[in-house]
Amino acid sequence: MLGPSVPAPGGPHALDSLLVPPPALPHEPGRVREYTLTAIDKEIEVAQGVRFAAWTYNGTVPGPVIRATEDDVLRVTFVNGGSHPHTIHFHGIHPSNMDGVFEIVEPGDSFVYEFPARPYGMHLYHCHATPLKKHIHKGLYGSFIIDPPKPRKPAQELVMVMNGYDTDGDGENNFYTVNGLAFYYAKYPIRVKRSQTVRIYLANLTEFDLVNSLHLHGDFFRYYPTGSTGQFEYTDTVMQCQGQRGIIEIDFASTGLFMFHAHQSEFAELGWMGFFDVTD
Amino acid sequence: MASDSVAVGGSGDARWRLWALLPLLLLVGAVSLFAVAGGSLVGLIGRNAPQPDEFDIRRIEFKQGEIRIRVTNPQRDELTIGTVTVDDAVVPFTLDGPQTLGRLRSSTILIPFDWVEDEPISVGVTSSTGIQTTEAIPAAVETPSASPSSFLGYGIIGFLVGIVPIAVGLLWLPSLRRASPRWLSAFMALTAGLLTFLAVGALSEALQLQAALPSALGGAGLVLLGVAVSYLTLTFLSHRFSSDSRSSGAGLGGLALATLVAIGIGLHNLGEGLAIGSSFALGELALGTFLIVGFMIHNVTEGLGIAAPAAEAERVSKARLAVLTLVAGAPAILGAWIGGFVTSDVLGVVFFAAAAGAAAEVVVEVGRYIVRRTGERLSSPYVLGGFLAGVLVMYATGLFAG
Repeated sequence: MLGPSVPAPGGPHALDSLLVPPPALPHEPGRVREYTLTAIDKEIEVAQGVRFAAWTYNGTVPGPVIRATEDDVLRVTFVNGGSHPHTIHFHGIHPSNMDGVFEIVEPGDSFVYEFPARPYGMHLYHCHATPLKKHIHKGLYGSFIIDPPKPRKPAQELVMVMNGYDTDGDGENNFYTVNGLAFYYAKYPIRVKRSQTVRIYLANLTEFDLVNSLHLHGDFFRYYPTGSTGQFEYTDTVMQCQGQRGIIEIDFASTGLFMFHAHQSEFAELGWMGFFDVTD
Repeated sequence: MASDSVAVGGSGDARWRLWALLPLLLLVGAVSLFAVAGGSLVGLIGRNAPQPDEFDIRRIEFKQGEIRIRVTNPQRDELTIGTVTVDDAVVPFTLDGPQTLGRLRSSTILIPFDWVEDEPISVGVTSSTGIQTTEAIPAAVETPSASPSSFLGYGIIGFLVGIVPIAVGLLWLPSLRRASPRWLSAFMALTAGLLTFLAVGALSEALQLQAALPSALGGAGLVLLGVAVSYLTLTFLSHRFSSDSRSSGAGLGGLALATLVAIGIGLHNLGEGLAIGSSFALGELALGTFLIVGFMIHNVTEGLGIAAPAAEAERVSKARLAVLTLVAGAPAILGAWIGGFVTSDVLGVVFFAAAAGAAAEVVVEVGRYIVRRTGERLSSPYVLGGFLAGVLVMYATGLFAG
């Protein structure tokens, strides 16, 4: 399945803000980075013709990309506009009272999370209200990038959050996606240039299944687990459990259409599948 | 004065007849009131439970490079087809009907698919609300099209499992004629035993099938309706037969009873033919020689069941025997055709329920007949032994068809 005939929800630019992160800023210790996240109950179309009663941050699943540079002060105002108590739990290094575990935010209330951004790497955030399984699989999660003091080399930067949806409540996912819409990147392949490195910030927030994975066709890439050190693995397939994440860097050798998908065939055929359209 | 009181009584009757309309009018009023204001009642109690949003998958056909799924909306609210999966993979599909189905409306989903012969496969239809209805098929086999040859094939299957064994069983007739009244009562009881076995089997089949139907289709009530209609129809028929023969001074004659038995068995064979035909068409049954032979052995005893009451009649023409054979056996052919080409589980429920009701009614008639005509009491060892033998024979031969 490739191109316009693919059954995928959303228009050609529906996922732009989730796929392309805001730009990295230079290292400037003490600078305040402000974000506002609002929990919203929203029904979204997750696969063609199938709607899911999601709990979202700012109306999308996954939530918006939060980005800071190491040593920035991150100030995230959380407004609970949903119908259940929620929190935001960030991965990273921060004080216990900013952990999103004890400060349960009731509907209509708000809370300000403030802490220095560290360590650099690819992180994530998600609701930590109980029952945890319900609050995560309903859609309350997103990616959280902390850039290193010494900027990474320029690249075409992309964010991919792997997830699943249990639309009929039987404890098993009916659909799998990257960035929230089944088969989206099969309908609209991601356009990249061969001349420039492609950097993917990849995270797994799939509930119910033990692992998820990404496999790239026709090429290899460097995979930096968590992206907080310079260590990498040279491969074409990576596996992540829920909460694991990392950074992928691809230098495409050829132009053309290259598929990428979960190497759990079932996930791929239930929506977690797409293409890169590599051009010169 | 007398004529006055009659007139008063008459107008009183009319008044009370009119009065009989009052409850109906009140009901109409209450229903419309509820239809207008019912929403606020729901508001008082709490929220209405959501609809299950499950499809009724009526039929799955496998054609060269294609799977066809017939789905029906069994619930009150509209139901929209969202995505379709085969073996847990989303597949492209087209529809030959509407995508949003009103109550009891159907569409056929056409999926281009390279399915694997003889292997299990499952299909799923997900509603726009995310509820997935799945159906597993034990083995995918090409669904025969309604060609003359497949028509003939299903016809032959019905002929083999319906008509042949009954005709064979009827050959016991001359021997039964020479049996003593006691032994004849034993064979009549055997007929009752095997019919009871058929009734229980058909009822269990009907209940099993209805359990798999969406609840909105009325499951157990549908079974009761089928049982009641067929039971009462046969009661009516048997009274007709007996009053006919009573005018010639005889009560329900042996031949009339044989006809009733044949009708009961015929209804059962309709269900059996349907089950065999649809199982074969849907790849649930390996149609081997062994299975056909099993059903033949099983059904020979049905022929014996018709022969026993017929043995009581003074003379039975060959034409009459042929008619009895057709009444009891030919429905298997019809059933096989229906099952092979258009089956639905709803029809299965109705057929098996009707078979259960008919068989039960005939058991009652046979019991009456034994008491009235053979002079044996129902507690005689011949009758008891015969009944048990009937059940046992059906059980034992049923193992062949299992």
